[in-house]
Amino acid sequence: MAQIKADPNKQSWEEAEFPILCETCLGDNPYLRMTKQSQAKECKVCTRPFTVFRWCPGVGMRFKKTEICQTCSKVKNVCQTCLLDLEFGLPVQVRDTALGLEDNAPRSDVNKEYFAQNMDAHFQNPDNGLGEGGFGKANSAGREMLKKLQRTEPYYKRNRQHICSFFVKGNCTRGAECPYRHEMPQEGELKHQNIKDRYYGTNDPVARKIMAGPKAGARQTGPPEDQSITSLFITGVTEDIKEPDVRGFFYVFGEIKSIVVVHKSKCAFVNFTTRAGAELAFEKSGGGVSLQGVPLRVSWAKSRPVGARTEQKGETGPTPEAVMNALQAGPPPPPGSAGSFTYPSQDPTYQGSTSKHR
Amino acid sequence: MPKIRSSRTKRAPEGFDEIEPTLKEFQQKMKDGKFILPLCSSVPVSENDPHEGKRKVEALWPVFRIHHQRSRYVYELFYKRKAISKDLYEYLLKQGYADGNLIAKWKKAGYEKVCCLRCIQPKDTNFGTTCVCRVPRDMLEEGKVIECIHCGCRGCSSGSGAGSAKGSSSSAPKE
Repeated sequence: MAQIKADPNKQSWEEAEFPILCETCLGDNPYLRMTKQSQAKECKVCTRPFTVFRWCPGVGMRFKKTEICQTCSKVKNVCQTCLLDLEFGLPVQVRDTALGLEDNAPRSDVNKEYFAQNMDAHFQNPDNGLGEGGFGKANSAGREMLKKLQRTEPYYKRNRQHICSFFVKGNCTRGAECPYRHEMPQEGELKHQNIKDRYYGTNDPVARKIMAGPKAGARQTGPPEDQSITSLFITGVTEDIKEPDVRGFFYVFGEIKSIVVVHKSKCAFVNFTTRAGAELAFEKSGGGVSLQGVPLRVSWAKSRPVGARTEQKGETGPTPEAVMNALQAGPPPPPGSAGSFTYPSQDPTYQGSTSKHR
Repeated sequence: MPKIRSSRTKRAPEGFDEIEPTLKEFQQKMKDGKFILPLCSSVPVSENDPHEGKRKVEALWPVFRIHHQRSRYVYELFYKRKAISKDLYEYLLKQGYADGNLIAKWKKAGYEKVCCLRCIQPKDTNFGTTCVCRVPRDMLEEGKVIECIHCGCRGCSSGSGAGSAKGSSSSAPKE
């Protein structure tokens, strides 16, 4: 996009036409209005002025904007707002350790600017690929691990409003019309995150948590919660594992009402007719089973009916009421993509973007 | 137009003396909320009002509110109750006791309760739309309270049940 510069040391300011963003940051609505402002802010990493794009990622979400410039995001192959990898949605530190990528981006003042400037020139040439070359190569063991660590559904909670600091102190005079969240802040270590650390992949608490243990982390393998749930939720289901295999494993625990296997999101639901059967199955396999040599994680399903619709679109979807509303009043699909959805979020009836006409 | 009287100014048309107290009251409210006469409802204060505890935009809301109320009073006197003459009405508009442009909007279908002229100006917004307060209540998700940044309006579409006095609860400091 830049013209030929006479002086190699002269910095030309970035003029971008479209941001480099991940699907989660863009939000669930396939229709977006975005504002573009050239040189509106300085990049949080290289402190050069860059084009800021700003949009609303969904109803009730805060407006997000691009935080780092395109050059910095291309160097590390990350989203311009959330600084997570574009391919996997994982922090830079996780991806780099899995793929064994070295970080040679300088951090200090002039070095940083020089590096950024060079990278800028590097990317201007359309022949050059993204990042430091390590992305295209196989490195399949690392990539496999990253695929397992990936989220399977978009995590829109990160687009929520920030916490109202007045509420935390106890007196928010705005009350009901306050756009910020009236909740107490939580989570100890993850609260102290630093954008530079996250970008360079050093000292990132989220990365530490992810690498410490996918099993030890979020999964509660405690006793089952809601008493009416009789279904187990299984992840890690690869293409090789088919429904008869799953049935063959779980039928011993109790009568199975139905099994739904969704290869697209690598998961399966096993619905038992009795609660006791489900509990027994969970007891025996809750730590993790392996079918056909593939390790699987077993946990309790969330209280949502699993039916034909979710089988097409991917596991966790909107609540049944929202589904019914969407089906009754959904807008027509965007032109050219009717029926062939690459991402669930491209489907306008998927999450929440229904018209309010009843 | 200055609202001062000297020996050279023309006399106001008949009927002005009856409404003068109310107009004076509005003027006082606009200047400084401490001298609120017992007639009117509490709250919006104006130019001399301390700005503590308010957001930057919030400090201006009472100005718009009182302006709306004042113009509304004159509008209702002339168009609804037909209690004043055309002469007097035009005199009031000319002297600045009411906003002719705002009243012109109230005569249009769908704009009967417009809060202020800023909120219907599409040039003021990023995407060329009107302010959020123009959205009817049933198009907004339930339970969501809106105070628009321009004038603190909570909804001025004709269908959303907004009172023409812009609600007595708006811009009151909440606990």
